[in-house]
Amino acid sequence: MRMLQERNLQVSIDGEVDARKFDDARSHGLSHCMKAVDFIIEFPDHYLFLEFKDPRHPDAPKHNRDKFIREFTGGSLDQELQYKCRDSFLYEWASGRADKPVRYFVLVADEALSDAELTVRTDALTRVLPIKVPNSVLWTKPLFQSCVVFNIESWNRSLPQYPLKRA
Amino acid sequence: MTLTKVRLERFTAFEELDLELSSGINVLIGANGTGKTHLMKACYAACEASKTGESFTEKLVHVFLPSRRGHWRLVKRRRGGSQATVEVFRGEQCLSTTFSNRATVPRYTDVRQNRSWEDARIESVYIPVKEMLANAPGFRSLYSNREIHFESVYADILDRAFLPPLRHSSYIFRSLLRELQGALGGRIRVKNEEFFLSSRRGVFEFSLLAEGLRKLGLLWLLIRNGTLIEGSVLFWDEPETNLNPKLCRLLMKVLLELQRNGVQIFLATHDYVILKELDLQMSGGDAVAFHSLHHDNTDGELVCHTSSDYLGIHPNTIADAFSDIYDRVVERSLDGVTS
Repeated sequence: MRMLQERNLQVSIDGEVDARKFDDARSHGLSHCMKAVDFIIEFPDHYLFLEFKDPRHPDAPKHNRDKFIREFTGGSLDQELQYKCRDSFLYEWASGRADKPVRYFVLVADEALSDAELTVRTDALTRVLPIKVPNSVLWTKPLFQSCVVFNIESWNRSLPQYPLKRA
Repeated sequence: MTLTKVRLERFTAFEELDLELSSGINVLIGANGTGKTHLMKACYAACEASKTGESFTEKLVHVFLPSRRGHWRLVKRRRGGSQATVEVFRGEQCLSTTFSNRATVPRYTDVRQNRSWEDARIESVYIPVKEMLANAPGFRSLYSNREIHFESVYADILDRAFLPPLRHSSYIFRSLLRELQGALGGRIRVKNEEFFLSSRRGVFEFSLLAEGLRKLGLLWLLIRNGTLIEGSVLFWDEPETNLNPKLCRLLMKVLLELQRNGVQIFLATHDYVILKELDLQMSGGDAVAFHSLHHDNTDGELVCHTSSDYLGIHPNTIADAFSDIYDRVVERSLDGVTS
């Protein structure tokens, strides 16, 4: 059992998987020019990139929370989330590890987000990542396989084996 | 005073329903066949009965148009004899009717309790799902002279739309008209019983206009001619039909402003965007009630849960549909992760 913690959000990862903190400034070393997802978990047949956003963190000022949600539901954060995923992939590729397809999960810890809003943001992020590659594009190596935007409730509903909670 | 309560007993799909109404916006949600339209039509018939002197039961028949125009067919179906009661309240005043399901007993009892229901006319308008303005030329004379199988709401809405504009309207209503004109790209004109949109790009008859724009055009007419004024009641069945979701923001803005200016509103909707726009745009002083009609788990009868805010809607069949889609989106993306 591995416990991944980002500020006061904790997710428990069961089983034989390699999970590591990825956006640590010292070990990453390139945070001045490359964005990074919070965690990378290696499964037998794919990598899982995990990004946590916590607008409801108890220390977050209310106006910051409201601003974040406005930007998030309005799509202004899609580009940042897109760059985090792409740059993380490039970093892993240059490290000789990007040998399996990548799934990208974004957790936005705000229960006020409805499933409709999560669906819309999932679709929007899917569009800006090259997930649906046309048949005319002759790539021979896998890249991004899927992406999903969760909140805590939908994460625990969909991934009960990896329980997520506030510490 | 606007409508305050409706009580139905063994009427159409309802066994028994006692519903307190908001003086502002009443949003009716629920799956198909949960009585949203019937509830609105019963209330609309009561409003109309205040103006025409027509009996409540006759008005119900005209609005619902049961086969053979038999009011007995509005009684909830069951074996044996039964009778329906419809009561609509306006504070202490109540308009009520009771009638049997036996065609051989074509009697009904209309009751006006306390003061006469007609003492204060209720201006009301019912916008049906099907848009009628494009079919307006000749329809009203056809409806009044011939037996055609159309509910009275279709003729009524044209009567309202043809009313000439008010000489004077309030600043608020003029600003709403300007906003609607902005979305329409022009103003609505009527010529020889035909409706036109007059815009910079030309003059377009309604039959050539997108249905969503026709709906906004109808709302523009109803505000401009004073049908929607303080004390009036608007019933709108599925306003989202044929309307681009982007226009829902403006539509809800206009409806909330009408509510703030004393118009009571009933909306029957299946649309998430309508609900969410209301949720996002309503403020503390707004009177909004979300009525969720559903079949009770124990006896299967129709019941209603009312909430004053979006998150309190239960059950929320519209959000449930999105949750189902979301869960399947996630399931497709999770393939292999959960094993």
